[in-house]
Amino acid sequence: MSAAGRTGGEPGACARCARRSWLLSMLSGPLDCCARDRWRLIELLALADEELLRAVAGTRKADLHAQYARFGSEPPVEETRTRMRETDAQGGIEADVETICHHRRDYPHALDGPAAPHMLEVAGGAARLAELASAPVVAVLGSTRASDYGIEMARGLARGLAASGVSVAGSVTDGIAAAAHAGALEAGAGSIAVMGGGLGVACPARWRSLYERVVHAGCAVSELPHDCAGRRWGQLASARILVELASVAVLVEADETAEDLFAARLARARGRTVAAIPGRVTSPLSRGTHALLMDGASLVRGPGDVLELLYRCGEAAAGRRSSASGSAWAPVSAGATASGEDSQSGLRRELRLTLERVGAGCDTPDKLTRAGVDAAEALLALSELELMGLLARGDGGRYLPTAPSN
Amino acid sequence: MLARAHTFTIDGLRTRHVTVEVDVRRGLPGFTIVGLADAAVREARERITAAILNSGYEFPARRITANLAPGDVRKAGPGLDLAIACAVLAASGQLPREELDRVALFGEMALDGAVRPARGALAVAHAAQRAGMRALALAGASAHEARLIDGLEVTVVEHLRSAVRVCSGGPGDALPERAGASARAGAGERARDEEAGGRPADGDGLAGPDLGDVRGQEHAVRAIVIAAAGGHNALLSGPPGTGKTMLAQRIASILPPLSSAEAVEVTRIHSLTGERVDALATRRPFRAPHHSITAAGLVGGASRGSVGEVVLAHNGVLFLDELSEFSRATLEALRQPLEDGRVAIARANHSAVYPARFMLVAATNPCPCGYAGDGDRCGCGEADMARHRRRLSGPLLDRIDLASVLRREVADDPRAPALTSSARARERVLDARARQAARLAGDDVAVNAHMDVRMLQRHVRLDARGQEMLRAASRRGMLSARGEHRVLRVARTIADLDGSERVRAQDLGAALALRPEPTVTGNRAA
Repeated sequence: MSAAGRTGGEPGACARCARRSWLLSMLSGPLDCCARDRWRLIELLALADEELLRAVAGTRKADLHAQYARFGSEPPVEETRTRMRETDAQGGIEADVETICHHRRDYPHALDGPAAPHMLEVAGGAARLAELASAPVVAVLGSTRASDYGIEMARGLARGLAASGVSVAGSVTDGIAAAAHAGALEAGAGSIAVMGGGLGVACPARWRSLYERVVHAGCAVSELPHDCAGRRWGQLASARILVELASVAVLVEADETAEDLFAARLARARGRTVAAIPGRVTSPLSRGTHALLMDGASLVRGPGDVLELLYRCGEAAAGRRSSASGSAWAPVSAGATASGEDSQSGLRRELRLTLERVGAGCDTPDKLTRAGVDAAEALLALSELELMGLLARGDGGRYLPTAPSN
Repeated sequence: MLARAHTFTIDGLRTRHVTVEVDVRRGLPGFTIVGLADAAVREARERITAAILNSGYEFPARRITANLAPGDVRKAGPGLDLAIACAVLAASGQLPREELDRVALFGEMALDGAVRPARGALAVAHAAQRAGMRALALAGASAHEARLIDGLEVTVVEHLRSAVRVCSGGPGDALPERAGASARAGAGERARDEEAGGRPADGDGLAGPDLGDVRGQEHAVRAIVIAAAGGHNALLSGPPGTGKTMLAQRIASILPPLSSAEAVEVTRIHSLTGERVDALATRRPFRAPHHSITAAGLVGGASRGSVGEVVLAHNGVLFLDELSEFSRATLEALRQPLEDGRVAIARANHSAVYPARFMLVAATNPCPCGYAGDGDRCGCGEADMARHRRRLSGPLLDRIDLASVLRREVADDPRAPALTSSARARERVLDARARQAARLAGDDVAVNAHMDVRMLQRHVRLDARGQEMLRAASRRGMLSARGEHRVLRVARTIADLDGSERVRAQDLGAALALRPEPTVTGNRAA
């Protein structure tokens, strides 16, 4: 079995990697206790099987050890896979969940680090994952409690990057992460969803339809068995897969809490390029990104800046990008990804003025009127700009400029 | 001997003509009332017997059968007492029978023979006039109400003896002094005008809160005027304290006065609830039920004959404050009235159809804490927001034509000049309504909000730029077909307010800006 796994010809994972995955699911409880200290959790996950057992198994050590020793003799992998198909038949989704391990050739090279997961379950197909991971990958990170500004920036960034042939990766959680996937989908491209638990259970119900679209166009990966709830530790552990997959990690909006900044700090610790989108200094939801910028993260204003970073990183992306951007990765929704500069220079004068005013803070009809614009004209201009995709509606009746797509 | 008298019973908002036939013949003495009578009518036997004897007449010690025709209509309430009593007297030869065919009788009997007022005098008078009765005799206390109907002689009978006198061709009792001042108690905020002379709706009805009290919020005020002009359902959202409720309460003051037909309808509904009505309503009703209201309270039917808030808001405004706090079932119950302009109540023992064409104005916080979009104060998580949106979404939002968001910084400026006053806004609304009425004369709707797709095609002509905008909107997936219709209706109203027969790009732009669609944080989940 392991021989077949190494050749990469057959789908599936070798027994050793499957055992690792099984062990993690058995240790889910104790690991969740360890997750109080995030960095210790990451250290623990880098341990070999035996050491991990010794470190966290507690009173169940002997029992688990015996099961662990027996693991190879039974065919649990096949069992798991059969059970998986049954659930699929019931749920009717994610028909092609494949299991790959780091002994296979199509396993993403970026994940070769010491603490990398041994085995991944991939919804959407291992080939799709290999294809997406062969392009430069950008991880979009951010708070689960985001403002409309953050949502719009994440969405625009992902849309622009995906349209340029860069793969977008992110978790499927509230706020920034979900907006990033939605943005990539708008550009007609697939994205990589890194799940914090087994693929059968990890997705929150309200993101189910988004998740299904992501799997349809891209893929979702998890290092845990299909029906293992990842809990908190799984979410943290998935951050290490996310940042290792990526060559650049962009923090879109985050408060200055350990929770919000964990993934970005992990990316830095793993030697990835870390970038952040600035916000207003008065906004608590931008404190994290500003702290990161103070620490030397690169400042990102749009997809163009991220592409710049990718080149500088020396990724062998240039050739691929230029060939891809013309054909396969061309934006699907016309107008949505029209270059900001081009469409802005072609604007009528009053529209350009309104757009500038909105960008400068006159972002409600009332404020525009008080700035001296005729009420009817203000509404007309706002609606026209919205129709052009240059403005979007934010919370509280405000309009916000959409993120530039280049 | 047989005698016949005429009266009316109230079934929902419908008034049914009831013919009382009384037969007195030899046999075992007894008094039977047949004809689907409810408990109040069956008890009439005892009241009538006592009243006749106490008035000094003879109660025939014979076999008396009273039949209430038609036999398949349920008769309710004590208002039939007077007619039955007079028919008994006529059947026993104590009253000439001929006059009873021309005078309708309506009132409850007291044991001493006095006539008490019964609920719904206005509706009865309206029905009596249409049934071609020469006169209606009823208690003095409800006579003012009945006199609001033209073309009907209203005779006051305070006692059974007066009724006998009237039916013998004599005069009625004197009309009592109007107790206008005391009737005000309990009227609450119900729109009506007691000083008006009683003839249809010529009072300007501008009493109550004025739009001039609102400071700032220019666009919200504008949205409210548009809503009032086109009869559009509107949603106001914004953080607490920005004046959503204040604004909504002023809508009634800028609506056009009731037409005389509408005034009769509104007054009839008031009369049905048992409230004293001394004059036709002149102001449009404004109903603001608390969000703890049940579905039965909102549409009616909690008990037989109980009228819901949507019916009380007929021809007026139904204001739902804190829309997201209403229970799901309650909001679902609004679908039929919003769609059809009426509610059909079907219960085990009765069913009734009430008119309920109103303008819905709702107010809500943008999120559970109320501060979404107001700086960074909002502390709601995605799950809270999703729950909040779920409560608002669905069929109800589909029926709302325009939404306006109120913001705090504008509301906080107390020195801002008053933008308009109710009188000025109302003039514009009246102009716009006149324009609509002229255009929609051939169709059976009165305001733009009720135009269907065919009327939209006929009456909404866009200029080239507007057509291009509309195409762009549907190309970008910003508007569903239904959303497009709503935007066109609102655009039509905005053009009407400006006195433009053509719908210009700027009207469409404003309508698009007012469309109730989700925001960046709201529509990103597929």
